[in-house]
Amino acid sequence: MLSMPVVLIILFGFTISTEIPNAKISIYDQSEDVQSQRLIQSLIASDYFQVVNYPNSEKEIAEDFSQLQIKAAIIIPPQFEKKLISEKEVELQVINDMSDINVASVIKQYIETVILNFENDINLTEFGKTGLLKVSIQMKYNPELNSVYMFVPGIITLIMIIITALMSSITLARESETNTMKMMLITPVKKIHIVLGKVIPYMALSFLSTLMVLAISVWIFEMPIKGNLFVLLILCIVFMFTSASFGLLISAISKTQLDAMMITMMGLFLPTVLLSGFLFPLDNMPYGFQLLANIFPAKWFILALKDIMIKGATFIDIWFYVAVLLFISTLLTIFSVTQIDRRRAS
Amino acid sequence: MYTIEVQNLTKRFGSFTAVNNISFQVKKGEIFGFLGANGAGKTTAMKMMCGLLLPTSGSARIAGYDLKSESKQIKKEIGYMSQRFSLYDDLTIKENMMLFGTIYKVPKQELNERIEGHLTELNLMNHKDQLVSSIPLGWKQKLAFSTALLHRPKIVFLDEPTSGVDPIVRREFWSLIYKAAAQGVTIFITTHYMDEASYCERISIMAEGDLKLIGTPTDLKIRMGVNTIEELFTHFVNR
Repeated sequence: MLSMPVVLIILFGFTISTEIPNAKISIYDQSEDVQSQRLIQSLIASDYFQVVNYPNSEKEIAEDFSQLQIKAAIIIPPQFEKKLISEKEVELQVINDMSDINVASVIKQYIETVILNFENDINLTEFGKTGLLKVSIQMKYNPELNSVYMFVPGIITLIMIIITALMSSITLARESETNTMKMMLITPVKKIHIVLGKVIPYMALSFLSTLMVLAISVWIFEMPIKGNLFVLLILCIVFMFTSASFGLLISAISKTQLDAMMITMMGLFLPTVLLSGFLFPLDNMPYGFQLLANIFPAKWFILALKDIMIKGATFIDIWFYVAVLLFISTLLTIFSVTQIDRRRAS
Repeated sequence: MYTIEVQNLTKRFGSFTAVNNISFQVKKGEIFGFLGANGAGKTTAMKMMCGLLLPTSGSARIAGYDLKSESKQIKKEIGYMSQRFSLYDDLTIKENMMLFGTIYKVPKQELNERIEGHLTELNLMNHKDQLVSSIPLGWKQKLAFSTALLHRPKIVFLDEPTSGVDPIVRREFWSLIYKAAAQGVTIFITTHYMDEASYCERISIMAEGDLKLIGTPTDLKIRMGVNTIEELFTHFVNR
């Protein structure tokens, strides 16, 4: 109990922060002259960005978004230096990944800061004009800036965790508390059947709830499902199993319903809210927390869910996330079953 | 013919020996009292016989099957009722009986007849659709015993079945036990009530993991030179 405030303050203190160091970007330099190189240098020197690629076409930029997971792409127009001297206004195009609105707005600020510094530099030395560079933002993935895009994947995740993990662990713990579990173990019923009998109804319930959330977000909030609905449903089923395996783990280590509730809330629900990237961008957390986030399946599920719904990813694009989810659930199930068995032997 | 044969059964938890090398036999249809203070190892021994715990060493044959290699068959042949009530509170009387009967794969037609018979015997026919949470403790205990007999087990393990109920219900409960034993069911019972111990055909007393004494209540009293089972019991427990 006493560890709770410590855990809370550390989790919240480190996870809720609006800084995003080393955001991945691509730069498409159409002019390749001295000034464009200077701009690129100041972007790199700012420490805000990590330039992962220098594409040579709009098509390559699109590939960088899907394959390198860049947050933004900057396009420097042709004859950049000439335009800086002769024209009143030079447009710099920035393509921003809007699927995470919080991250996108922070990145936009960073770019504007760097450009302002760049302008000040050249003002002093060479050209003497102000307000020369205009940034035009082009939004990718979520042009309507719809916040539904943000919270629908999060809500689906929380529903799955609450119904499948919390409810099934509580109901299993209750069986132990009321002694009915002992009664069941004495009967010829196999242990795995008892557990399945307890977990399957909640899995079905959480799947139905997920379908409802999807239907409401599509029909009322006009959220798109750009990818294949079938792939989306497969992903949800996989995550349902992962949540159920967490429920199994929790019931294996908790003796009472209260234990089960506390462990789910502190050990699963809170980390899921904070470390899944659903409310707070993962990129700006300390490295240790980013590593920790990998253990919780929600991160992988939300990434895959967003890719399918917003970016229209196919199964091939998200197979890695699905593999991670399956790996986590297999590991947890094996661990929980051996835990329950060990209890019998000791 | 013995339905329970226990041979050098031992259970250790780390360096603590909960059950130390106990051996005994129980005949078919016998009412066998398993006495001992709290922590004497009764519950551990009983859990091993029901297949809930694996023994550290030793062997046993329960209902003719080997404890280690044939636990599946054993589970079909035994019934169990615990000190703490162990039916589902949020199901009705009939639903509980249906549930456990179905788990033991009693054919449906047969199960319905048996449930009707048991409920009539318990005078609960009019209450069969009442939630178990709403009935008095005494009823619950009798119902749990009756449910443990639904699949016609060869042995019924009763773990302090009558604790917390009044003398009248205890008397009724024991008449159910006698009836079952008369039909050939072996009754293996732990109890804290010394008067109940004298209802048993044979009793055993456990203390500190050892099986100290075993025999008929009258024999034991004579052998130890005491007048009541209570004296017999305190003799071992206070040492």
